[in-house]
Amino acid sequence: MAERKFTKEHEWIQKSDQIIIVGITEFAQDQLGDIVSIELPQVGSSFKQNDVMTIIDSVKASSDIYCPVDGEIIETNENLLEHPELINKSPYKEGWIVKIKPNNPEQIDSLLSKEQYDELVGQGKE
Amino acid sequence: MKLIFDYNQSNTKHTPDEEKDVDLPEELKRSSLLLPDVNEVQVIRHYTELSKKNYGIDTNFYPLGSCTMKYNPRVNEDLAKLPGFSNLHPHMPASHAQGALQVIWELEGDLKEITGMDAFSLQPAAGSQCELLGVMIAKKYFAEKNENRTKIIIPDSAHGTNPATASMCKFQTVTILSDDRGNMDLDEFKKAIGPDVALVMITNPNTLGLYEENLSEIKDLAHEKGALMYCDGANMNALLGISKPADQGFDMIHLNLHKTFSTPHGGGGPGGGALGVKSFLEDYLPVPRIKKENAQFVFDSNQEKSVGKLHSFYGNFGIIVRALSYIRSWGSDIHKISQIAVLNANYLFTLLKEDFDVPYDRRCAHEFVISAKNFGEKSTANIAKRITDYGFHAPTIYFPLIVKEALMIEPTETESKETLDEFANVLKTIIKELKEDPEVVKNAPHTIPGRLDEVKAARQLNLRWVPHES
Amino acid sequence: MNFIPHTKEHISKMLSVVGCSTLDELVSEFIPRLSELNLDNPMSEMELVSYMTSLSEKNSPMKYFVGGGSYDHYIPAVINHLVSRGEFLTSYTPYQPEASQGVLQVLYEFQSFICLLTGMDVSNASLYDGASAVAEAALLSSAYTKRKGVFVDDGLNPAYLKVLKTYCDGTELCITNTIDENTACVISQTPDFYGNIKNPHGLIEKAHAHHALFINCISDPTSLAILKTPGEFGADVVVGEGQAFGIPTSFGGPYLGFIAVKQFLTKKLPGRIVGMTTDDQGNEGFVLTLQAREQFIRRERATSNITTNQTLLALTATIYLALLGRSGLQNVARASYHRAHLLQEKLSKIGFEAINTSPFYNEFLVKSPKPSEEIIANLMEYNIFGGIDVGDNRLLVCCTEKNLLQDINSYVSVVSK
Repeated sequence: MAERKFTKEHEWIQKSDQIIIVGITEFAQDQLGDIVSIELPQVGSSFKQNDVMTIIDSVKASSDIYCPVDGEIIETNENLLEHPELINKSPYKEGWIVKIKPNNPEQIDSLLSKEQYDELVGQGKE
Repeated sequence: MKLIFDYNQSNTKHTPDEEKDVDLPEELKRSSLLLPDVNEVQVIRHYTELSKKNYGIDTNFYPLGSCTMKYNPRVNEDLAKLPGFSNLHPHMPASHAQGALQVIWELEGDLKEITGMDAFSLQPAAGSQCELLGVMIAKKYFAEKNENRTKIIIPDSAHGTNPATASMCKFQTVTILSDDRGNMDLDEFKKAIGPDVALVMITNPNTLGLYEENLSEIKDLAHEKGALMYCDGANMNALLGISKPADQGFDMIHLNLHKTFSTPHGGGGPGGGALGVKSFLEDYLPVPRIKKENAQFVFDSNQEKSVGKLHSFYGNFGIIVRALSYIRSWGSDIHKISQIAVLNANYLFTLLKEDFDVPYDRRCAHEFVISAKNFGEKSTANIAKRITDYGFHAPTIYFPLIVKEALMIEPTETESKETLDEFANVLKTIIKELKEDPEVVKNAPHTIPGRLDEVKAARQLNLRWVPHES
Repeated sequence: MNFIPHTKEHISKMLSVVGCSTLDELVSEFIPRLSELNLDNPMSEMELVSYMTSLSEKNSPMKYFVGGGSYDHYIPAVINHLVSRGEFLTSYTPYQPEASQGVLQVLYEFQSFICLLTGMDVSNASLYDGASAVAEAALLSSAYTKRKGVFVDDGLNPAYLKVLKTYCDGTELCITNTIDENTACVISQTPDFYGNIKNPHGLIEKAHAHHALFINCISDPTSLAILKTPGEFGADVVVGEGQAFGIPTSFGGPYLGFIAVKQFLTKKLPGRIVGMTTDDQGNEGFVLTLQAREQFIRRERATSNITTNQTLLALTATIYLALLGRSGLQNVARASYHRAHLLQEKLSKIGFEAINTSPFYNEFLVKSPKPSEEIIANLMEYNIFGGIDVGDNRLLVCCTEKNLLQDINSYVSVVSK
C-alpha cells in the first residue's frame, strides 16, 4: 500500500489500487473527543474536493469532514454506525470511513505528506 | 432507583367504571397494554421524591446567562388556573371567549408599547419558533418584491437557533466576527452587507452581555441595502423601560415570555414566543389575528399575505395570561426591573473581575462573560460541577463559543445583594481549591450520582423502559 | 408587588462598588435612552387578581361535546398539586444533570409511556404541540430520504395541515398529491379529524414501496388504550397531541406535542432526548443525550431549530398516565367510545344523518336537519357547546368520559325541540 497523504482538515488518505481509503487523523479524533455517531454518505454519491462529505458528532460537538479529492463514494464503513468509537480507538485502521474512486488522481499528489502534516499539527494548537 | 414501571398496585378510581368492551373489528383492536397500575399514594410519593432531586429558582439562585431565571410570581399561576381561562375550549366562538381574546389583545398592546413595534403575534410557542416565523416573513416579503436575497448575517456570538433557523429556510448564514470590544466588527459587516442579504439577526445586548455599540451604523447600512433588521430579544431584561428595539432600528423582534416576562421554565418548557414587527410587515403575521371592532374582540383570518399558521390554535394561552399579569403588576415601574438587573450584573462582574480572565472589560448590561482559561483546560466544566457541591446551580458554560472556557452569568433583578455576595465567595473559594486541592474540583460533584458518563449515554443508548416479556 | 429584594442601602452600596452614583447614570453609560414608555400604574396583587378575574369571567366555559384537536377529559386532582411543586415548576432545562435528576427521570418515564402507547421504539422529550410535531416529522423525513415531497392523506386536522403547509413553504418542502420517488413521507391521521378509525396498512405498503416514510398522527391519544398501535401496523414515525393526558383545554395552549420513531431513525429525532447512564461508581442516573443533533451544537447544520420543549406538560401527562394506569386509561377510552356511540345513535333517531364511513372512536360527523349554526346557538343557550360546524350543515361532535348519560339526554332534548 502506498504511503498516507493528509489534508489540512485532518483527513488521511491511502491509495489502494485504483481507489483511496479515507479517515481522520489521530490528532483529529483527539480534538473531537469521544465520538458518538457519524453520518455516512450514500454509496454512489459524488463529491468535489473540499465538499462536506460527512458529519461526525461527539458528545459536545459536531464536525464536518471534507472530501479530500473529486470522486465517487464506492464503499462506506458501516461498522461505524454501531461502533463509532472505532474512530477514536483505531483512526487509521478499523476507523476508516469511506473508500473513494478519485476522478483526478493527480489531486492526491498535491496533498500534504506525513512530515508536512506533522509540522502543521505541531505548530497549530487551536 | 425505582421507575414508575416498577410498581404494580391496585389503581385508585378517578372516573366511573366502564365495563363494556368496544365493538371494533379485530384488525383495529389493541391486543395488550403494558402500562403499570399504580395506586395514588404511590404516585404522590414517587413524584414527590423526584421533585426533591431537582433544583429550581424556588431552591436557590440560577446564574445562567441568557436564560433570565428570575422569580416566577405565584399569583400568576393562580390566575392562569382560573376556570374562565383554563377550562375554555379553543373552538369556542369569539362571542363566548371575549375575556380570552382581550387578554391576547392586551398583551400584544403592552408589548407594542414596551418594544415600539407596531404589531405582534403571540402564536409562536417559543423564541426559536419566533425566529422561524421572522425568517419566513422575510422570505415572503422579498419574494413578493421579486428580490433574490439568499443570505442572513449573524454575529459569531449568536445563539445556535439563529443559524439553525436560517438553514431550515434555505438561507446561507454569513457569520461576522466580533471585534476586541465585543461588538460586531463594523469593517467585516461592511464587506458582507449587500443586496443579497435578507436579514441581519442581532441579539442586543449581545450574548456577551454587551450593548452593540455599532448598532446605529449597522442599521443604516442594512436599510440602505434593503435588508431587514431582526432583534433576537432574549436579552430584553436589560432594556425594559430604558430603550425600545424599534428606536434602535429593528424591523422585527422576538421576545421570550419565559425569560424577561417571568413565566416559569418548567424544567425546559412550556415557553411562549412573541414576534413584533413594524407596520410594513404586519400583513405577513400568522392567522388568526385578534382585532377589536366596535368594542368587540374578533378573530380575523382574512389576511391574504399571511405566512400561514404556526400553532394548532392561538399560541400558549396559559403563558400569555401569566405574562400579561406580570406586566400589569409592574406597569409604569417596569424600568426598575432592568435597572436592578443591570446593577446586579455589574456588581457581580466587579467582584469577580479580580479572579477571572475578562475577555471584554467594558460596562456590561444585565449579564457578563468571564473566562476560566488561566486555570487550565476543562476548568470551566470542573468549576461548574464544583459549584453544585456548594448548593448553587452552575452558570452557562462554553457559550458564547468565541470565548475560551467561558462562564456566562446573569443574576436577574430578583436576586439579593446577599445571594450575589455568597455566590461570589463560592467562586473565589473554588479558585483557591484549584490551586490548593485541585482533585476536589476535578472530581466534583460529590453527589450521588456523581459526574454522569455522557459518552456512555450517547453510545449505549438507553432511552426508555422496556417491558420484560412475561 | 415587588420582587426586587434590594433596600435603598443595598442599592447605594452596590452602586459605589460599581463606580456610579445613581441607577440612571449606570444604565445611560451604555444604553442610549430613547423614547418614553407609557404603561398604566403598577397594580398590587389584590388589584391584579380582581382585574384578571373579571377578564376570566367574560369567558363562558360550558359542557363540551367538542374535540377537533382539544379534548375535555377528566383531570384528577393530584396532578395540579404535583406539577405546581416549585422544584418542578421553577426549574431550568436539565443541562446540569446533577441538579435535575427529578425532571430527567420524569422525561425518561414520559418517553417510555409514549413508546408503550404507540408501539414505537424511541421517543423524544416532547415538542410544542400536535401541529408542529407533524411539521417536524416532515422535516425529519426530508432529511432522512433527501427528498422534498410530502403526501397528506385526507382527514388530517385542518389546523395541522395549515401549520404543515406554513413549514413546508418556509423550508422549501412540497405538499403533493402523489406518492412516488420524490416522496419523503406519507402522513395520515387516525382516528382522523372526522373521527374515522383507519387501517393504514395499504397506505404504509404504498409508502414503503417508494421508500418513503409513513407518519401516523394522533390527536386524542387516549384512543391508544383500545386501538391497535401504529407501531404494529408498521409506521416509521408517530406524532400527535398529548393534551388529552391531563392538560386542561386552556383556550388552545400550552399543549404537548410528541414524536416517536422506529430504531433506525433515532439519530434523526429533533428536540431533547433523555438517556439513562451511570457514574464511575456504577450509580444510575439520567442525562440529556445525543445533544450534537441539536441547534446549539449543529447550528446551521441542524435540521430543526427547536429548543424549548414542553417539559412541565410532559410531566403532567406522565403523572396522568401513572395515575390512571392500564385499567384507568382503558376505562376512559371505553367510556369515551360508548358515550359518543350512544349520542350518535340517539341523534340519528331524531333526524341527524350519521356520515362516518368507518368505525369511530369518540368523535363523529352528523348532518343536521336544521342549519348547524342554529343547532349550536340553541345548545349554547343551555350552556352546551354541541359541536364544530365543518360546513354544509355537518357537525363534528365529540364525547369523553365527562359526558354523562344525563348530559347526553339534555343535548338530545334541546335539539329535538
